Amino acid sequence: MLPVHHLLYLGALLFTTGLMITIIKRNAIMVLLGLELMLNAANLNLIAFNQQTPGSPDGQMFALFVIVVAVSEVAVGLAIVLRVYRYFQTAVPDEIRELKD
Amino acid sequence: MADTALLYNPTTLQTFALLTLLLPLLSFGIGALISERYAWAVTLCAPFLVLLSLISAIVVAATQWGLGTLPVAIPWFTVYGYTFSAGFMLNATSVCMLVIVSLVSFLVHVYSTGYMAGDAAGKRYFTMLGFFTFAMQGIVLADNLLSIFVFWELVGFASCTLIGHWKDKPQAIVAAKKAFLLNRVGDAGFMVGLMLVWSNTGTFGLQDMALALADQPVGGWQTAAALCIFCGVAGKSAQFPLFTWLPDAMEGPTPVSALIHAATMVAAGIFLLARMSFIFTPAALDVVAITGILTAVVAALAALSQHDIKKILAYSTISQLGLMVAAAGTGAFGVALLHLVTHAFFKACLFLSAGSVIHAVHQGQHQAHKSFDVQDMRNLGGLRKRLPFTYITFILSGSALAGIPFFSGFLSKEAIFSALIGWADNGWRWLVVVAAFGVSFLTVLYTYRMIRGIFAGDETVTADLAIAEPPVIMRAPVALLAGASVWFVFALNPFVCHGWFLQYPELPPHHTALTIFSTLWVLLALGAAGYIFRSRNPFESALLRNTFYLDSYYEKYIVRPVLAVSGVTNRFDYKWLDGMIHATAYGQVTVAHFVAWFDRVIIDGMVNGAAGLARSTGRFTRSFQGGKIQLYIFWAVLTIIIFLIWTLV
Amino acid sequence: MITFLFYLFALLAGASALTILFVRNVFYGALSLMACLLSIAALYVLAYAEFVAVTQILIYAGGIAIVILFGIMLTSRVRGVPLVVQHNNLFGAVVAGVALFGLLVTVFSHHTVTPVPTSTEGTQTLQPAQAIGVATLTAYLLPFEVIGILLLIAAVGAMVIAGSLKSKQP
Repeated sequence: MLPVHHLLYLGALLFTTGLMITIIKRNAIMVLLGLELMLNAANLNLIAFNQQTPGSPDGQMFALFVIVVAVSEVAVGLAIVLRVYRYFQTAVPDEIRELKD
Repeated sequence: MADTALLYNPTTLQTFALLTLLLPLLSFGIGALISERYAWAVTLCAPFLVLLSLISAIVVAATQWGLGTLPVAIPWFTVYGYTFSAGFMLNATSVCMLVIVSLVSFLVHVYSTGYMAGDAAGKRYFTMLGFFTFAMQGIVLADNLLSIFVFWELVGFASCTLIGHWKDKPQAIVAAKKAFLLNRVGDAGFMVGLMLVWSNTGTFGLQDMALALADQPVGGWQTAAALCIFCGVAGKSAQFPLFTWLPDAMEGPTPVSALIHAATMVAAGIFLLARMSFIFTPAALDVVAITGILTAVVAALAALSQHDIKKILAYSTISQLGLMVAAAGTGAFGVALLHLVTHAFFKACLFLSAGSVIHAVHQGQHQAHKSFDVQDMRNLGGLRKRLPFTYITFILSGSALAGIPFFSGFLSKEAIFSALIGWADNGWRWLVVVAAFGVSFLTVLYTYRMIRGIFAGDETVTADLAIAEPPVIMRAPVALLAGASVWFVFALNPFVCHGWFLQYPELPPHHTALTIFSTLWVLLALGAAGYIFRSRNPFESALLRNTFYLDSYYEKYIVRPVLAVSGVTNRFDYKWLDGMIHATAYGQVTVAHFVAWFDRVIIDGMVNGAAGLARSTGRFTRSFQGGKIQLYIFWAVLTIIIFLIWTLV
Repeated sequence: MITFLFYLFALLAGASALTILFVRNVFYGALSLMACLLSIAALYVLAYAEFVAVTQILIYAGGIAIVILFGIMLTSRVRGVPLVVQHNNLFGAVVAGVALFGLLVTVFSHHTVTPVPTSTEGTQTLQPAQAIGVATLTAYLLPFEVIGILLLIAAVGAMVIAGSLKSKQP
């Protein structure tokens, strides 16, 4: 049995790091990277709790579904990034200010 | 006068008197309004209108002569319930003066058409001449002191413009200014006199005044008022010490000198004295007499050493006016008026003859392209051969001036002497009598000198000039006036002054001894003149020529201090008063700047600050929608974190 | 032994995650991500979730990381020069991160997690993979089908969005 709290702390660290990456980096792909990291941190939490309930595989099922969703999200996200890059000729999100009013 | 009784209709008389007054004004109006192209029309029109005025004057005189005073009053304006009226007072004095003024004015108009022919400003000349005639008639006809004062000023103005007629001559302008200023000084006294009279009698009308004074005791104010009015007389009639303008007024054209400064305007003072005779107390009359005789002596002495023929005549005028004033000072106003009338004729004749001489020599000089002062006696001489007609008129009027028997001047001088002798009853008054005789002696002397200087001897400077008599249009008026200088115009007896003229006012007693004495006196003077002036111009005295340097005293002690004071006040006004105004202006501008700064910085600052606050707030809140997705993420996450902290911790 | 491994892989995961954060080179970041994912897979294994660990390696490290690398290559404009990115919003991010971390740590430290005892009624101890398989087709049948459709949609959508390389239309 792994120490749950330490897993949770690790998960918190990963999540925080992922969040900071999302906010700090001036590259759209790095934003995706951060998102992935956050999702993985959530997965880690799930597995940590699953360890506390050995009888049911709920935690693992959830983690699997999370992985699948993450995959589809990355696929679509990357397609969008590519499209955006092709149009705006830049991969820096700050330079794309069409949302500004 | 029976057939004229039909004409004695007050309305007709008023109409004719009004015509006499207004026709010259019409001439002035036509001259002023007509354009320069029709200047020749004015030259024709003006004498004609004055002739009409003369005819109306004669009508008025003929009807009114010998009858009493006819007052005509028209209310003029009302101030504080007191009505000032303008009207006429026609008595013997005024109708006589009316005729004289019209006649001399008409003759001068006719003469001027010849004398001023070719003058560029002829239209202006005739316009002002008409205006002058109108103003002079106004003085003569007026029945109240206020009207007299108004016309007095108008006459002074007309005189000033006519003296300065040749505007390009700087001396003419200076002379005109001097005439006006000295007149003004006299008029200041006149105004004080007006105020005194009105405050003490409550009226300006001459007849009302006379009535009011008749039953009042003689008070000190009367002497003061009389002397103040005499100030005006002294200014207008060139008495000591205000006479220095008259010799300088000779800068004007000669006909102007004849009309204004010999016959009429200067006589206005004497006329006023006669009109206001009721206000003169014995003390005032003494002052008047002394002033008159002093003027006569000083002027006669000055005339003796002048070289300019017109200046001789000017000083002679002053001297004769002095005699008139002295006669008035004895209380014999009628005698003064008699001398005024005779003087008008012979002095006008003298001036116009002098004008003929000047004109003739000037024509000759012009043709020969020479230039010398035509009025300087030293350049003339021996002209009797060239200008015989003028010579004769000179002799006729000169004899009248000198008071030679068989001439009108003798009659009036006689009257003056008898009046003076009748008046002289104590010590100093006999001095006045002696001085009067001295003046008549000097008159003979300078008249002889003048005639000799112009006509006798041989021609020097003018020898090679073509000099001829002036045209008939100039000679005729002179002839008429010369004719009026002989005795029979005034009295049938050449030696007695009780003629048709002096039958009306009070007549001085007639002493045969006086007549004989004065005749001998004149003949003695003639002899002395012949002796003294054998050679030409032995009488040279700078002192006399400059009238005892009176002018330079005025210049040094009066004019310069006044100018200095005016300079001081001018600087004061410029520096301090204007300085204060400038300072207030600067202060105003400074305050305005401060207010502008305040408005710009503080008030606008507040407004702008509010707007800026709104703007920065908006910008801040808008920045959340900057379009930067990472910021969106950041803010959302931060909000969630805060929420979580708030709920979980 | 397990504890040591646990701490080792935990350290690895944390370090690689921080590497991604601090490194400016995008490529290094992607590689660090791969390292992080692999470490997490190892942790899964240590946490008796082998199936998830393998899935993680296969899909995440083997699929997603590669795809991300593809994306990096396709969106870098400059050839030959490594793609270096700047950081922005540093201060805000640090604040948010520290706040979040502090929050989570605080929350986690206040609660204790107790293991749930297993029920011993006639259930055979299945292998984890078996248990997952059974659960998929019984209790989680609907999510399983839905996720299949989701994947289909995502794949088709990605292809449509990405479009042909030649088109310039957004």
